[in-house]
Amino acid sequence: MNTTSLSKIAWNRIPQARFAMWTLIAGEFVIFGGLIVVYLLNRMKYPGWGEMAMHTNVVAGTINTFVLLTSSFFVVKAHEAAVKKNVEKVKFWIWLTILCALIFLGIKAYEYTHEIHLGFTLSSPALLEQGKHVETLYWALYYTMTGLHGLHVVGGALALFFVMRNVAKTKSYFHRIEAAGLYWHMVDIIWIFLFPLIYLIH
Amino acid sequence: MTMSTTHENKGFWHRFFFSLDHKDIGLQYLITTMFIAFFAGIFAMVFRIHLAFPDYHIPLFGIIDAKEYNILVTNHGLIMVLWLSMGILLATAGNYLIPTMLGTDDMAFPKLNKLSYWFFLLSVIILIISFFLPQKGFGGGWTLYPPLSVGDFGYNTPYKTFSDRFFSSNTFVLLAIALEFVALLMGGINFMVTLFNKRAKGMGLLQVPLLVWMIVIASILFMFSVGPLVAGTFMLLLDINAGTGFYDASRGGDPLLWEHLFWFFGHPEVYVILLPGLGILAEVITTNARKTLFGYKFILVLVLIATVLSLMVWAHHQFVAGVDPRAATVFGILTIIISLPFAGVILSFLATLWKSNLRLTLPMKWAMSAIVLFTILGGFTGLHLGAALFDMYAHDTSFVVAHFHYTLIPVVIFAGMAGFYHWFNKFSGRELNQFLGNLHFWLTFIFFNGFGIPLFLLGLAGQPRRYAGYDHIPYLSEGYLPLLREIATISAVILVLSQFIFIFNFIWSVYKGKKVTSNNPWQSTTLEWQTSSPPPHGNFEVYPVVYHGPYEYNRPGVDKDFLPQNQKI
Amino acid sequence: MKIFPENVSVYGDDIDFLFWLITIVAGLATLIVLFLVIYPVLTRKKHKAKENIYVKGEGFKQLKWIYLAIFVMAVADFSFLIIESDGWIKTQETLPEKDFHVAIVGKQWLWEIIYPGPDGKLYTSDDVKKFNTMIVPQDAVIHMDLTAYDVLHSVFIPHARFKFDCLPGRKITRWVEFTKSGEYPMVCAEMCGVGHSRMVGKVVVLPQEKFEKELAKIYKK
Repeated sequence: MNTTSLSKIAWNRIPQARFAMWTLIAGEFVIFGGLIVVYLLNRMKYPGWGEMAMHTNVVAGTINTFVLLTSSFFVVKAHEAAVKKNVEKVKFWIWLTILCALIFLGIKAYEYTHEIHLGFTLSSPALLEQGKHVETLYWALYYTMTGLHGLHVVGGALALFFVMRNVAKTKSYFHRIEAAGLYWHMVDIIWIFLFPLIYLIH
Repeated sequence: MTMSTTHENKGFWHRFFFSLDHKDIGLQYLITTMFIAFFAGIFAMVFRIHLAFPDYHIPLFGIIDAKEYNILVTNHGLIMVLWLSMGILLATAGNYLIPTMLGTDDMAFPKLNKLSYWFFLLSVIILIISFFLPQKGFGGGWTLYPPLSVGDFGYNTPYKTFSDRFFSSNTFVLLAIALEFVALLMGGINFMVTLFNKRAKGMGLLQVPLLVWMIVIASILFMFSVGPLVAGTFMLLLDINAGTGFYDASRGGDPLLWEHLFWFFGHPEVYVILLPGLGILAEVITTNARKTLFGYKFILVLVLIATVLSLMVWAHHQFVAGVDPRAATVFGILTIIISLPFAGVILSFLATLWKSNLRLTLPMKWAMSAIVLFTILGGFTGLHLGAALFDMYAHDTSFVVAHFHYTLIPVVIFAGMAGFYHWFNKFSGRELNQFLGNLHFWLTFIFFNGFGIPLFLLGLAGQPRRYAGYDHIPYLSEGYLPLLREIATISAVILVLSQFIFIFNFIWSVYKGKKVTSNNPWQSTTLEWQTSSPPPHGNFEVYPVVYHGPYEYNRPGVDKDFLPQNQKI
Repeated sequence: MKIFPENVSVYGDDIDFLFWLITIVAGLATLIVLFLVIYPVLTRKKHKAKENIYVKGEGFKQLKWIYLAIFVMAVADFSFLIIESDGWIKTQETLPEKDFHVAIVGKQWLWEIIYPGPDGKLYTSDDVKKFNTMIVPQDAVIHMDLTAYDVLHSVFIPHARFKFDCLPGRKITRWVEFTKSGEYPMVCAEMCGVGHSRMVGKVVVLPQEKFEKELAKIYKK
């Protein structure tokens, strides 16, 4: 006895997976919202922060933004395919989405390497030595926000992968593509907020 | 345990690991919560004995020093607020009762439900490990304020390398909390989707028992308020382990930031605890007053208003913390306002009692005491603390400790026990021993007040909280103040020991208690009472169809004094 | 029966009065709540006609008593707010002209008291640092600059009804005025580690001439 016998003992119309996912997304927005508020408050407190943002790689950030937007388009195509129950097309579009995730992570890794090389880390001891205490906070927030987002990219990609594999094996559970896709859109939207705030503030 | 399900032939451990049945999961939460709360209760006994009788060698603990005191006090608070309260009122009650009261087979996502329990259990294990790390436990107050919580409290334990700091009580307590939040978030999603999608046929949203609504609203409130604290906890972990300075003033950070993030969650958290308690009271009161709930819709509206307001009052914990005093005024106003919807809810419960043919059963005694103690000694002292000018004096004194014990214990213990005594025969098929139950009730009632009232007086005398001792401070050692501490301590010890009567009664009755002769001994109207005790796997042989609201007691035109929800008029 | 420590502060009466006002009003509400709980218990065995007791609590007519109760509570609550707002503004948002200026630094686990030195100004090179005992003049407005060295602390002087947190990296100024000479304890009211209960200092309030003599002694050392 489990919930797939839904039709016998429930008569409501809200599709479950979608409902649950929206709830999860709302929760995630509050978490990232908290971080963004912290970032904004600190930015208002320390106007000199703009200087630090100049060391971020705006080109890389812009490319990544397009990569994520494109991946969201791919996931929409995957959902279309799922609605039509076309397993092959679902696999195709999901693989493209995951490819975009990998490109995003690769570019991010390149950025991080470069920034760490310049001495900007979570605690930035080099900056501390120069007496630039307040600036270290910028980088702490930079890594925290983009790092947490990056973890969500990894999580989202893994979710898409496992859902796709399950669909390919069982030729059913297509509604899960939509749920995973929603999660992916959330990851994309959070980046749309982070990018201007962190990279473009001056 | 006589829990009849299609898993009947499977052993205890098979069910522990593999059962997806919400009832099994609910009981797992119950046992795990009671286990960890046992320690929190012992901690309280130990540190209270130390305060009143500092030279006494406490068995197993010896004479407590300040470091041990801080660890005991901190973890008592953490366990009781974060694990016991939500473990019983949200996880246990929600898991066991939501599908049964809704007339359905299980939660919307049974596997997610099981996963949430594993996260919860893991959080308890990580918490227990924190007591075996070099710091011997986190000792910075349950509120975890940095900069104190970032360092090692002056314990002189190794704290230099990444490994020292990662394997510290600080990090482990924060990880335990984070894991528990994940468990509750998963549970919350389950509760919410189940309420909206899996109600019995004919059960409109306004015919759902109030307890289910309360748990779901509490879960939604939890989900929205915990986000910033999750972010804040992540930042605190980074401050401890990665050398960041989010809360370090010398690095551009701010300790006040933590206070805001913490209390933004911390205040709604008390309503996350209160709402299910109120829900349990609604169920117990209607059943035992043989009277329909007064103001079902009214209560729902009031609760929704209060829920929204609860997100706007957090800084009343920070009146003298360094926030702008003009902001304090705004928070003070909102705090005063939030007392009004809850007054309305309590008055609705009292209106339900009014002119009723009430039965003074054990659950009813617990329920009525909960209302009296919560409202009078908890709620009204909230007015004192909400008035910022008086709070300047009373903040961080024993007055606050008394206030929150009078809001939390009536809700978690008294309302929780009302629920437990009410539903025990449903989940076990047996009755609790009445004599032991009455003994438990009266001892708890008397000695809880014996603990709480002296604490109010001590706070008014200017006794600060979280102190490892007061005998070296003249103004706190004169007059009747030491006597008050002794009365509070002896009462607290008896209070904790009385709970063992309950534990003995629980375990004994599960195996040897008198079997119930009816599925519905309380003659209650809600759906969980219209199936066997305990319900079978899947809850109902035939799924009920609902014809009216959940509290049709003494309805004109009906012969019996109650009409179950699945019975036509 | 003495509930509070003796009040020796110019604004202490406001605080004590507020307490008693709220307590008395809450006391009246308590009697009402107790009645509403005890009376149904005492009259519970009486048989009630179903028409009288099946009350759903819908509509204005049925809810009017609760609306009234909430209204009365709101009026009482707002009166408390209005009464306390004067005192709150006085103690937190205004700084009367100072007669004496001193800084208190909370440290694990003692109070550093910084006197302004013979030039009368704080944060100059002739400031004098002492520990745990703070001497101040009676009947004078004393500005206290509060800060902390390491973690959060909080200055609590019960007889003055004064409390405020000390934050590292921030300087917050509040004021007191003592109406009576004597020695009054000053304790820490924010968890700060193992020595939290040991941070017991004292405020020594002296009449003006005695105070000046003592201060001169401190400055000479």
